Amino acid sequence: MKTSRSANARRPFLEEKRALPFVAPALAVLCFVSLYPLAQGISRVFYSFRALTGKNVYSGLQNFVLLFRDPVFIRALLNSLVWTVTSVAAMFFVSYILATMLNSRHLRFRRAFRTVTLIPWALPGVVVSLIWRYIFLSGGPLNTALSGLGVIHLPAWLIDTHLALWTCIIANIWMGIPFVTIMILAGLQSLEGDILEAAAIDGASYLQTQLRIVVPSIKKVILIILTLESIWTFNSFDIVYVLTRGGPANASMTLPLYAYTWAYGSQQAGYGAAIGIIILLILLSVVVLYIREVLQ
Amino acid sequence: MRMHPFKQVLLHVAVLVMIAFLVFPLLLLVFNSLKTQTQIFESPMGIPHGVTWDNFRTVITGGTFLINLRNSAIVAFSTVILAIIVTAPAGYALSRFKFRGRTAFSMWLLATQAFPGIIMVLGLFTVLKVYGLINTLPGLVIMHTSFALPFSIWLLKGYFDKIPIDLEEAARIDGCTRLRALVSIILPLSVPGLLAVATFSLLLSWNEFFFALVIMRTNETWTLPVYLARFLGSGGVVQWGPLSAAALLVTIPVFVLFLLGQRYLVSGLTGGAIK
Repeated sequence: MKTSRSANARRPFLEEKRALPFVAPALAVLCFVSLYPLAQGISRVFYSFRALTGKNVYSGLQNFVLLFRDPVFIRALLNSLVWTVTSVAAMFFVSYILATMLNSRHLRFRRAFRTVTLIPWALPGVVVSLIWRYIFLSGGPLNTALSGLGVIHLPAWLIDTHLALWTCIIANIWMGIPFVTIMILAGLQSLEGDILEAAAIDGASYLQTQLRIVVPSIKKVILIILTLESIWTFNSFDIVYVLTRGGPANASMTLPLYAYTWAYGSQQAGYGAAIGIIILLILLSVVVLYIREVLQ
Repeated sequence: MRMHPFKQVLLHVAVLVMIAFLVFPLLLLVFNSLKTQTQIFESPMGIPHGVTWDNFRTVITGGTFLINLRNSAIVAFSTVILAIIVTAPAGYALSRFKFRGRTAFSMWLLATQAFPGIIMVLGLFTVLKVYGLINTLPGLVIMHTSFALPFSIWLLKGYFDKIPIDLEEAARIDGCTRLRALVSIILPLSVPGLLAVATFSLLLSWNEFFFALVIMRTNETWTLPVYLARFLGSGGVVQWGPLSAAALLVTIPVFVLFLLGQRYLVSGLTGGAIK
């Protein structure tokens, strides 16, 4: 019997029966390790740990009430937004320029350069954080270089409340560049060379060509990159944990780390879950925005 | 079109500067692993003079490094195998069949990316506790697999989309069953896709820190990222030499496998996104 796409469309139920054995294992596993834990994790928010009795008791929406009166939570929320927006914006900006350069026909050894670009991607987050913690040490490489350049007041990167979050952001940008670059590069490679050639002949500048022609043509790739990278960065834990532990004085505290601190440092799983639900709501709205944009 | 020679030189310089920015931190790590503590702080950026292997010796002979290495290897390897077994059929179904809830399934896969680690870890903790899997390697494998699934399915769908459906139809006209066509025609063609999933889930599992930190409670069950974080936070002056050596040893295996698999991973990622 010959099955073609048009015939399949007329027999959706038959198709479903055939698809089931293929999808069932993944569905079962996803329910067991994703859907159920999600519901279970969310349900924790209605309970609070009582140190006196050593038990978790039902406390309704108390965790949320406490959350919005908690100045550190507000701080962590703002930090998380700064951390995500600046990281992703900078990653995108740097990677875009790098990708257009790596895509240039005039660049020698393109293949080798592209492979080397991937290096930070392979490193474990903890290792990346360790390296940057060393680079930012008061007597570390960065300050040695700065003093070599004649800077007198050397910044204490990891200890200064105004700088701590930014040191984390720099490390995060470094780690994210390969993925973003390679995705943009793939988008660029899917473009017809003729369009760019024609634009160049018409005397369009680099900026004009990119903004008017390239960016609109690879909009779809850009959207998925921005969506995924925003979600991953917002959820990221390793870098802040290893570099600053959210310090000094919560100056670089982000939501995932704050949630962890409550759930596993102070046994208040319910409070951690409340923070987690706020993260979930923020990120799901990002996903919804993406889906709306794509479906248009 | 030709490029002005000056511009072309500028292009190369710019690329080299970027590459230096991406490579230099790793180079620092290599240097530090070969220096003594005094050397590290006398010249934080300098090339080591008089290479010492003491740091590596300290790491391998002292502490739990080798046990943690074994843990990491077992967990990563099991995650890769499990991820492939579960995702290959699902990716195939998403690419080839129309079924109710197909779009919803794809959206769900994307949404899972947005699930906060803390919620998942609280929920999975409860599940694992029921089966006595806290502080065990299988428990962590389950966590990592759940983490790797959505993206891997999406990756594989992209790969199966690229394999022409005519190939399968031709085989079936020749009398193959669907399963037979799948095993003998589609599977061999999708090896690059499976390698992409393998590379992705290996990277994910080997490098994963948060879940391992929460559920691995004793020195003997740590994976390498937890080992490194504990090493750093073990109090007193940070021993950058041994720490760098350990970090380098953690990085090398995944780095080598990544270099071998990156071709497939890159083409898988970019194929899926552009469609």
